[in-house]
Amino acid sequence: MKLNLELIKKPFQSFFESLFDKDNYNIKNLIVFISLIISLFMVVLGFFSAFYNFYIGDLNLRIIFIILGILMFFQIIYSYLKLNIRKKLFTMIIFTIIVIFLAYFLPAFPPKYDLRQFEMSASILKFLISSIFLVIIGIFGVSFSIKPLYNFSSKSKQYSAYFVLIISIILILVPLMLIIGNILFNGAGGITPDFLTQDVSRHGQEGGISKPIIGTLCLIGGVAIISLPLGIGAAVFLTEYAKGGIVVRIIRITVDILQGVPSIVHGLFALAFFVPLFGISLLSGILVLSFLTLPIIIRASEEAILAVPNSIREGSYALGATKWQTIRRVVIPPAFPGIITGGILGLGRAAGETAPIMFVAVVFIGAPDIPSLFLPIQALPYHLLALIYYIGAYEVEQNAWATAFILLGIVLSINAISIIIREKFRVEF
Amino acid sequence: MLRRQIKERAIRYIFFILAAVSIFIVFFILFFLISESLPAFQEYGFSIFDSDWNVTRDVYKIGAALFGTAIVTIGAMIIAIPLGLAGAIFLSEIAPYHVRTVLKPIIELLAGIPSIVYGFLGATLLVQYLVPTFDLLKGKSYLAGALILGIMALPIIISISDDALKAVPRDLKEASLAVGATKWETIKKVTFPTAISGISAAVIMGMGRAIGETMAVSLVVGNVMHIPVPPFDIFESGSTLTSIIALEMGEATGLQTYSLFACGVILFIIVGTMSIVSNILKERIEKKFKGG
Repeated sequence: MKLNLELIKKPFQSFFESLFDKDNYNIKNLIVFISLIISLFMVVLGFFSAFYNFYIGDLNLRIIFIILGILMFFQIIYSYLKLNIRKKLFTMIIFTIIVIFLAYFLPAFPPKYDLRQFEMSASILKFLISSIFLVIIGIFGVSFSIKPLYNFSSKSKQYSAYFVLIISIILILVPLMLIIGNILFNGAGGITPDFLTQDVSRHGQEGGISKPIIGTLCLIGGVAIISLPLGIGAAVFLTEYAKGGIVVRIIRITVDILQGVPSIVHGLFALAFFVPLFGISLLSGILVLSFLTLPIIIRASEEAILAVPNSIREGSYALGATKWQTIRRVVIPPAFPGIITGGILGLGRAAGETAPIMFVAVVFIGAPDIPSLFLPIQALPYHLLALIYYIGAYEVEQNAWATAFILLGIVLSINAISIIIREKFRVEF
Repeated sequence: MLRRQIKERAIRYIFFILAAVSIFIVFFILFFLISESLPAFQEYGFSIFDSDWNVTRDVYKIGAALFGTAIVTIGAMIIAIPLGLAGAIFLSEIAPYHVRTVLKPIIELLAGIPSIVYGFLGATLLVQYLVPTFDLLKGKSYLAGALILGIMALPIIISISDDALKAVPRDLKEASLAVGATKWETIKKVTFPTAISGISAAVIMGMGRAIGETMAVSLVVGNVMHIPVPPFDIFESGSTLTSIIALEMGEATGLQTYSLFACGVILFIIVGTMSIVSNILKERIEKKFKGG
């Protein structure tokens, strides 16, 4: 026997049609609007409760989920009757059932579900579960509220995708804000003239970081002297002289490999090669950091030189200039901002590296007053590392924050300078 | 005229030598790593990949560190790949011009933050946060390492995949829009699949960074040489290839040194291969669109 749905539907239909009457049309928008706001609120609440480790309470959780469930229910009814969309409603119905189920399940979850019974060393806490579900259900809630708003067209898919993308970009930016913000707030207080001009004393509890700053500057300077000419020269060869062939291929592959070599492996190599030759010294540190920055500089310079169009070179040859004259007078000048940008970026990387120099160039205390090539130095990253190890044993936390502040300041201002140079002196052809 | 030619030729050779320096560097690195690690490989053979590292018994097999590197990298990629790709798509396709000009340098700056600073914040703030959140005894764990590495790999993945997405020619996108696809459908069905080789280069590059990262990981991972039981227990302390080198190289003697150099060789091979593969993929997408 065929069930006549029309009979059952009719009375409801008239009821809902009166609810969504043309004169009363805003009710649909109102429901969608409220459920959008609630879903957004759930996402934000979920993130905050995960971040600040608080549980929002059984009753509140239940109320939020039930409200969302009811709103979704209205949206389903509306879409079914008014928009005549039947096939696409399935996921929405499932979602609503899940929401109602969670309204029961989440508050009933025990405060602490111990994973140690499965030999894992953690527990699942209620607030974490609830915040995870708040975020997930919130995101789906937004997407399902957008659907009826745009009559289930492909536009609605686009907007829910955009919403997810915006959430992710916020998630990317939050750690950055946390890092910069924490270092700024905790570190800026420790910066005094004494801190910048005195040497380290009493395991870093007192005194300042003058020698580590000087050491780091020496490293940067030395690296610039060695790796800039090497890197730019290599880039000129690869772009201007190389005509393919096996040797050039090998050079390119080795640059790729060198770019990938982990910094600690550079450190191991330097320990095996430079330390027997030069001892633990500034020179060893400069050499290993130069090797580390070389591929960065080669790549950036290559890119900058390749951006110079061939017509300029041909114009120079046509006037009778030799290859070297062309490179020196015609190719390098417009490529220079790009080359310098890459070079400075490389130096910024060198300034912050700890792993390559920790065995080969640095001491925590007792570097000579005037840095010498063949004696060890003190460097900021290594100083910070030592302070991190001392936290708990000595009163160094304030100084560690201040050191991190100075280190981050040096590295970020180097990077910012290079970005500014790139934007300001960009040559367009 | 002849003098001029000689000079030109000499300059050419000087540049060639400058370029060939990187060959020598890679050769030297490989040579010294292998020669310093050979005793460890001779002593243990393939059993060096077992998990047994004990200073008092003088046994140094690096399996646990290899396992730690694998689990931490997988965790980092679970965080970094979806977020990074979403960020790249947002930056290159959706963000308005002004937002892009602000966000792009910010993400480049994020890439410039030294790993020791990440490690410092990880060891102080992240670890303190994880203890109450997961009811841990100590916060230094694979989970902390994976979180830190995930954040550190993000900017690389974002900026390289952003370049790849930007390299997709406008004609393709406009053709898709012209037949009535929405912007999102165009991204999903045209832009993203076209840029896929550049995007995989970005992912491999980010993975290489995660595997080779040292200071941040060694400060948050706990540095215990063991494989947890059960192996997927990411809340356990552990160690990675890089962290074990950073922590023990200072006081290592004899066989321990050789085993640490063996860790270095393995890192070099893994990350070097990844670097080559990702650069080949990157060049492929550049070549694909250069012709037209």
